[in-house]
Amino acid sequence: MPANTPKVSAAMQALIDKGLLDGLPRSFGAFCFDQMKDWDLLFPAERSYFERLFGLLDRSSGPVVERLFQPLRELEPKMGMNEKTWPRGQFTLEQVDFLNRNRYYPEWRAAVAQVFAQLDPALDAEAARNGHARLAIVIAPAQLPTDPGRMWTRFQGRGKRVEISGPESAEEFLPLLLTGEEQSRKAPTIGQLFAAGKKGGAYTSWIVEAGAGVSRLGSDSGGAADYGVVKCSYESLAQYRKRLMKDVQSVVDAQETPGPRQLSARLKQMKILTSEGDLARDPILAEFARAILLSGNGTLLINNTFVEWATVQSVRRARPSVTVVGFGIRNKVKPFSSLLIYADQEATNPIPSQMDTLGSYVDLEVFYQYIWQEFEKYAEYRNNTAYLFVGEGMEEMLAMAPPDFPLMTAAGPLTLPAVFGHLKDWLSV
Amino acid sequence: MMRLTKRRFVQLAGLSIAHRILPGHLFAQQTAAQQIAAQKAARRPSNKVIIVTFGGGVRYSETFAPEGLQNIPRLVALREKGYFFNSCVNSGVLSHFNSTASILTGNWQRVDDFGFQPPAGPTLFEYYRKQSGAGPLDAWAVATNKSFASMGWGSDRDFGQPYGANVVLPKQLLLEAVQEVVKKGAEGGVANREDVLRRLEGVLNEGYEGVGWTIFQAGRKLDRQVRDTLVRGLVEYINGPEAPTSGDELTFFITREIMREFAPRLILVNFWDMDVAHWGSYSLYLNAITKTDRLTGMLWEEVQANQSYKDKTTLLVLPELGRDGDKNTANGFLNHRSGDASCRNTWLLAMGTAVPPGQTERPVHHVDVAATAAELLGVKAAGLAGLPMRELLL
Repeated sequence: MPANTPKVSAAMQALIDKGLLDGLPRSFGAFCFDQMKDWDLLFPAERSYFERLFGLLDRSSGPVVERLFQPLRELEPKMGMNEKTWPRGQFTLEQVDFLNRNRYYPEWRAAVAQVFAQLDPALDAEAARNGHARLAIVIAPAQLPTDPGRMWTRFQGRGKRVEISGPESAEEFLPLLLTGEEQSRKAPTIGQLFAAGKKGGAYTSWIVEAGAGVSRLGSDSGGAADYGVVKCSYESLAQYRKRLMKDVQSVVDAQETPGPRQLSARLKQMKILTSEGDLARDPILAEFARAILLSGNGTLLINNTFVEWATVQSVRRARPSVTVVGFGIRNKVKPFSSLLIYADQEATNPIPSQMDTLGSYVDLEVFYQYIWQEFEKYAEYRNNTAYLFVGEGMEEMLAMAPPDFPLMTAAGPLTLPAVFGHLKDWLSV
Repeated sequence: MMRLTKRRFVQLAGLSIAHRILPGHLFAQQTAAQQIAAQKAARRPSNKVIIVTFGGGVRYSETFAPEGLQNIPRLVALREKGYFFNSCVNSGVLSHFNSTASILTGNWQRVDDFGFQPPAGPTLFEYYRKQSGAGPLDAWAVATNKSFASMGWGSDRDFGQPYGANVVLPKQLLLEAVQEVVKKGAEGGVANREDVLRRLEGVLNEGYEGVGWTIFQAGRKLDRQVRDTLVRGLVEYINGPEAPTSGDELTFFITREIMREFAPRLILVNFWDMDVAHWGSYSLYLNAITKTDRLTGMLWEEVQANQSYKDKTTLLVLPELGRDGDKNTANGFLNHRSGDASCRNTWLLAMGTAVPPGQTERPVHHVDVAATAAELLGVKAAGLAGLPMRELLL
């Protein structure tokens, strides 16, 4: 084992002590090792995955494991993988770069995919056996310049449009949908109810949103994880985002980092401060926020990109049972913005910010699909998840769910408290 | 008696002065294959080549797929007049630098993704200049990203900088100017276009080495003619009626000025704006595609209007790479590293007087571009993985 063996759970340590990691092909082992090295910063679902993965390998017979990895094992020397290019337990951008530039990269990807194609059915069956009803609500902002007939165009032919009898006051739309009551009643949200229930607990219920309105709903809300609900808001992270942009620009200006690989190492040190958001209170969520904002895509700059990527990553890593996703309207891009990636657009250009409602509509049509696809990749969600696509204030919503989800058979128009009641029934909370 | 057509005249004139253009020893050492290629090139009026990377990474689904045609009206119209390869495959590394270097060298490149290494082996620029004896103003790469500063010549010691292209990086120039404006807190910020222009000129005067210029009059002084040409491009850009603001628009204006002033025979125009897709906004990505379509159309219009190019030019337009498919695990259009079909399968549109209208399903590859361009220029390029596209070399 490498000297930098990660601190892991007792169950995992027992498997490592048996030499399980040492017997893996170099690239596969290095990847797993790297993923586990910050064990304390992994979500419970991630830890569980690695324990189940290595448990499965441990239970499998030697020849079966040998056959499983044989194509990868044969490929690695051809690719030039050795102790120098792939030190045991190291999987940094150097290794990613090595793979990307290697002429056998497509074959390597195929070999890794083949490994998981054989492992996943067994792991999925295990996840499915422990399955329970889940819920994902994806909310589009009220300002979108469209009607239900032109929403969710990428889901045409799927699900059921549910007619809604909306409230007289537009402000009560989301409170009624998510708590069943008007906002002033401060009733718990569906996410809070689930998190406090018997299948709940830490990281099982998430809010990811562009604004902060959904996070403010419910009873006794305020912290990042009241009732255990994770609240990940682009708006609430404004202070951290602005500091990150400034710090990254300083690093780039000072030319202290010769390239992206070195920059990446610097970015890992830019952690959220306690004064910059409630997520800082939980080390796992603090690292999650840092990773989301510095992942290299537009999460620092565009609210809806943040929402999409944070949702995808939360699903991939934490596997929440209840997720409420709230998109917003992004601003129009100001002149020269493409050049000033890490600059505060408000400060660099005195032209007032303008909402880009049409652009946001186009962006979201794609993101609905990407989010839904991400959920459906995992066995935990397939066949037991109800998806509600909602336009705030709209008279219809789209439900995609198993046939026994109550909204699939309910006759409309439904009031929002009635929808909330069905959601409670579905989750048994 | 043989009728002396304009084409025949050009051919004869070209042959008669060839020894004055080509270095003597090189002319004497031409192989039979080179002579045939040169004769073919001389017969062909398309003796200038412009390679346009329709770039930053764009998928078929947003361009020549039925649902994408609305984003590229100019290219759709041009397709009717040109030759369209329905399948142009990038089998190499799916980074901008390696993909573009593969196009320029005719060999799949696996060098540093961020431009810290030059392309391995000679580029088309070097083959062209070394064999033709063309001067430094006859081969240009107008590129966007700073990493492309090393795109002008490769690592082969028999070639290299003496035969390389002039690389200009308009976006880098713009970036430095805009950052200066922001740093100084000028009134109006970057909305004050005159301020941006002043800084652009300032960067040209003071920091041109850092932004990619390789043309020096003597020592470290930027060649005056080149400088004036670039400044004209900047002024056109700043005063453009549509108030352009992107790096690609400046790339276009500078390319156009270079064409008007120097009429080089070989140009790489590297567009990049659609890589805004990494920001995660599908609408901004679509806008960038439409803008690049417009700029490519304007470039073709310049070819038609410019007597140095009209009826002499082959324009080869292709995305250097695609982007991940919507159903891919990576994150769809945001990225371009998955290696799936959506990343690799692109298209190529060839335009030019000598290009027959038509299209083919026959797959070609990015490395075929250098081989084809070499033949169009009458240059023999050895050891290329790519093959000439015979459809364009009738």
